[in-house]
Amino acid sequence: MPELRKDPIIGRWVIIATERARRPDQFSGQASEAPPEKPCPFCEGQEGHTPPEIYAVRPRHSAPNTPGWELRVVPSIAPFLRIEGELGRRGRGVYDLMNGIGAHEIIIETNAHIANMADLSDEQVARVISCYIDRITDLEKDERFKYVLVFKNYGWAAGGGRLKHSRSQLIATPINPKRVKEELVGAKFYYDYHERCVFCDLIKQEIESKERVILDIDGFIAVTPFAARSPFEVWILPKKHSCDFTSLDPNARLQLGCILKRVLAKLRKGLNDPPYNYVLHTAPFQRKKIGYWKTIGQDYHWHIEIMPRLTRVAGFEWGTGFYICPLPPEDAAKFLREVEV
Amino acid sequence: MSELRRDPIGGRWVIVDTDHPGSPEEFEYEPQVYRGGTCPFCYGNEQLTPPEIDAIRDPHTSPNTSGWQVRVVPNKFPALQIEGELDRRGIGIYDISNGIGAHEVLIETPYHEKDIPDLLNPEIENFISMYCRRALDLAKDKRFKYIMVFKNFGAAAGASLEHPHTQMVALPMIPKNALEEIKGAQHYYEYRERCIFCDILRQEMQEKERIILENKYFVSFCPYASRFPFELWIIPKKHSGFFCHMPAEEIPALAAILKETIAKMKAVFKHVPYNFMLHSSPVNGDTGPDGYHWHIEFMPKLTRVAGFEWGSGFYVVPTPPELSAKILREAK
Repeated sequence: MPELRKDPIIGRWVIIATERARRPDQFSGQASEAPPEKPCPFCEGQEGHTPPEIYAVRPRHSAPNTPGWELRVVPSIAPFLRIEGELGRRGRGVYDLMNGIGAHEIIIETNAHIANMADLSDEQVARVISCYIDRITDLEKDERFKYVLVFKNYGWAAGGGRLKHSRSQLIATPINPKRVKEELVGAKFYYDYHERCVFCDLIKQEIESKERVILDIDGFIAVTPFAARSPFEVWILPKKHSCDFTSLDPNARLQLGCILKRVLAKLRKGLNDPPYNYVLHTAPFQRKKIGYWKTIGQDYHWHIEIMPRLTRVAGFEWGTGFYICPLPPEDAAKFLREVEV
Repeated sequence: MSELRRDPIGGRWVIVDTDHPGSPEEFEYEPQVYRGGTCPFCYGNEQLTPPEIDAIRDPHTSPNTSGWQVRVVPNKFPALQIEGELDRRGIGIYDISNGIGAHEVLIETPYHEKDIPDLLNPEIENFISMYCRRALDLAKDKRFKYIMVFKNFGAAAGASLEHPHTQMVALPMIPKNALEEIKGAQHYYEYRERCIFCDILRQEMQEKERIILENKYFVSFCPYASRFPFELWIIPKKHSGFFCHMPAEEIPALAAILKETIAKMKAVFKHVPYNFMLHSSPVNGDTGPDGYHWHIEFMPKLTRVAGFEWGSGFYVVPTPPELSAKILREAK
């Protein structure tokens, strides 16, 4: 019997196919495309081919936009949103609109032409995490922004570009995006009733039952969610309650780097280098003003959601927000647990 | 300056690129192709599908033989099963229920390679009336709360069989996106005592810049806060909550606008894969018909949805709907 499962946070139902379930080895990725002829603008020595850097990890006394760096952040060449200007919220009949104000930055994770984050060292991944924290903290100073969405598109099918150089993106938005809001509202609803964080309860239950746990390393846990939307969806959560990703201490950053890299390496090895997306879910900027959400520190719990792109999302999922997951997350977790990396 | 636009019903914001609008030739999509092979939906292969549930067929032909115009069969690989109880229960903090529901396939035409624009109007009218007939029948089962009708055309849009078909799924709960839309519309109705879709329609007919086609009973237009380039809606002019209550005289008008709109889309994007979906009021519930207005949402599969959209529910639309509408209006 297929199952209908409800995501405990936002209340989204998904269909888990249990009988005609596809086996893990029936999914295969292939993120590879032909390499481009031109030199990669994200490689060391090509700094002139990107807009001027916003942030970099480079030796003291080395000048911006010159070689010698370990990590660089540059504005997107094709930004979704622009940094200059006023929000200009207004109506037009029944419609609402505002100017497309925001920041869109590219985090170049390594100076070498490496495609997949799974091939970086733990320290390099930890450096990327520190960079996310520094950039979010800096963008928080801009009062126009409410949220910074940090994400990665790896491989063409996941919306990544043709260039095979490991990078992530961040977008600062003047609104709280819909999915983020739904998750916050869902978590608050649970907290109002139980006076406990839904994510903490979820972590406790997952650690006890073990069947959906992929990795449990130090302060972090990687699980396949009970109501997974797609096969091999993975969440990484800190075991210690915290709503704010930017509060991670240096030791925890290294631990997160270690577990993130291992999960990505397992996906690559087990599923033949699939395209994937990951998205950081953290609390919006907490500014003390009208509408400020007082319990967010207690009710929300930051985490990372990783989504390998192995199936096509068809009309059914688009239209309904109701996903059909052809592989039970327990089987996906077992498969990934057993992949040696 | 690009714009952030808010969908007045669900409250979703989208980014519309008005600075560097994406023109049709910039989209790299995977075209729909016919590869052939044995097709369970073609004449002579009726035994390859589960026994038919309903059909429009020539007089004196028996079920599960050739001679049909429209045929409805259970999905051979259903996402949900018809027999059993829902049995809602908890596992610790998690909620679960059995996957009860109906999953049917409506074969629109015996012709393997005829998409909607290639059919004659009466052929389209046939399968639209079958949509209504099946929905009315499924709604008799009180376990079902929502009936979804959708079409995936082309492999990139999720179609696993290339013979033109529509799927119908009866669900024991109202799916999330539908619920949000219904709630958004009800919220507006409670405040203004008017249907938001009727208000949108009125504004669109006045402004005209997003309208593609119009006939006596229907309008097709690109929504103001589209999520995808060239996304479009087909909506009845007269307020109505349930598509299956469509009066018989409106069916030819719907067939005509559906055919012509898709023909225009395919003139702009050759062999484009697409999805469309009927949005209608829930069944067997207490939702009144006042605040909701049924419509069809149509999306050509031109872009890849990436991490940003997944994570945020916030879409980036490279072609403003005004431009999409203009291009489609002018397409022959």
